[in-house]
Amino acid sequence: MCLAIPGRIKFIDGNLADVDIMGVEKKVDIQLIENPKVEDYILIHAGFGIQKIDVDYFSYLQNIFQKEIDNEENI
Amino acid sequence: MSKEDLIIRLVNKIKSCKLQDFSIMEVCGTHTQSISKLGIRELFYPKINLISGPGCPVCVTSEGYIDVAIEILNRKNVIITTFGDLMKVKGSKENLIEEREKGKKINIVYSPLDAVKIAEENKDSQVVFLAVGFETTAPLIGLAIKKAKENNINNFSVLSNLKVMKPVLHKILKDENHKIQGIICPGHVAVIKGAEYFSFITEEYNIPAVVTGFESLDIISAIYFLIKQKNVNKKQFKNLYKTCVTSKGNLFANEIMKEVFLNNHCTWRGIGEIPNSGLYVNNKYQDFDALKKFNLTIKEESNDCCVCGEIILGKKFPDNCKFFGRECTPEAPVGPCMVSSEGTCSIYYKYRKVGKF
Repeated sequence: MCLAIPGRIKFIDGNLADVDIMGVEKKVDIQLIENPKVEDYILIHAGFGIQKIDVDYFSYLQNIFQKEIDNEENI
Repeated sequence: MSKEDLIIRLVNKIKSCKLQDFSIMEVCGTHTQSISKLGIRELFYPKINLISGPGCPVCVTSEGYIDVAIEILNRKNVIITTFGDLMKVKGSKENLIEEREKGKKINIVYSPLDAVKIAEENKDSQVVFLAVGFETTAPLIGLAIKKAKENNINNFSVLSNLKVMKPVLHKILKDENHKIQGIICPGHVAVIKGAEYFSFITEEYNIPAVVTGFESLDIISAIYFLIKQKNVNKKQFKNLYKTCVTSKGNLFANEIMKEVFLNNHCTWRGIGEIPNSGLYVNNKYQDFDALKKFNLTIKEESNDCCVCGEIILGKKFPDNCKFFGRECTPEAPVGPCMVSSEGTCSIYYKYRKVGKF
């Protein structure tokens, strides 16, 4: 039930936004999102945006674990 | 290195690790689903025992709560609105599907705001939203209540069975017989509450814990992070879901929860009453509290005869239950863990192969 899915804001009208969710456009309430902008990626749960997705961290896991396993023989 | 190559290397590292029966609890039902769907549970068994936790809100919804929802349905001009998952959960006698078959008005909604809209469009009816969920869902329900108050939609109310995660995790970890050696924290609760909300697991119990997402690399790297600490004295906590989880979470969502709800004890199906684990509509918004509006109280009793309670606490697996896969299936669930698509028994049934899984 805590399922949430990512989407990209296409258009903002007050508390509501048109959001592209994997190719399907849907109205999403974005009042919980701080300073939302068109083209922001957001996480959506039960019709609400609940957090901005920080694209700077898209490669975070790859960066840290690649270094770790390169440096370690066995765990 | 591609993401796929990294996953393969991490999997091989984990598989070559000297481990036996290292128990990791994934708390969230969505993680349980991802882990089973991706085949991760059987991939590492028996080196790693991935145990499912209490993070399916439908599974822990008490019979008394369903009974009260049905009692409200018996009043005149009532429309019940609910997330679809709750329809098959049995009260002490019946479930909401059986009530709808009798002609009672029950609407399945996608968002709590849809329930407010139904109230706006049906002024001659009382519209009650069945509020079930954890901290991920509670702020949205809080906003729906605020919207109803601001727009004088006085025929809308909420029957709250919202729960918070921290007290149940304390209950699990205070049990002297628990075998948990690592915890995968619920990612979307952490989106709202922040990663720091779960750091108590490591600070108070010295158990390694990790906040992570729901894709294969997220889960595999979380497992890698946890087992790496097997011989470390001072365990660590880490947030690996930085794309969506900040240390403090969504501050506005937390303000909404504080403004609309208060904490009190709550009954978790199969577990019993846990202090301060429920969120209820506070006095400021009491006109939107269905219990007050209909002058009802939830009388808790349990007729469950299966081992769902022990499964939720990570003490048993679904195949330890005599009903699993026989009398109890997703089409005809006996216990609450077989009802929701995020319930442990339902997931194990869907993705089962042979033996333990």
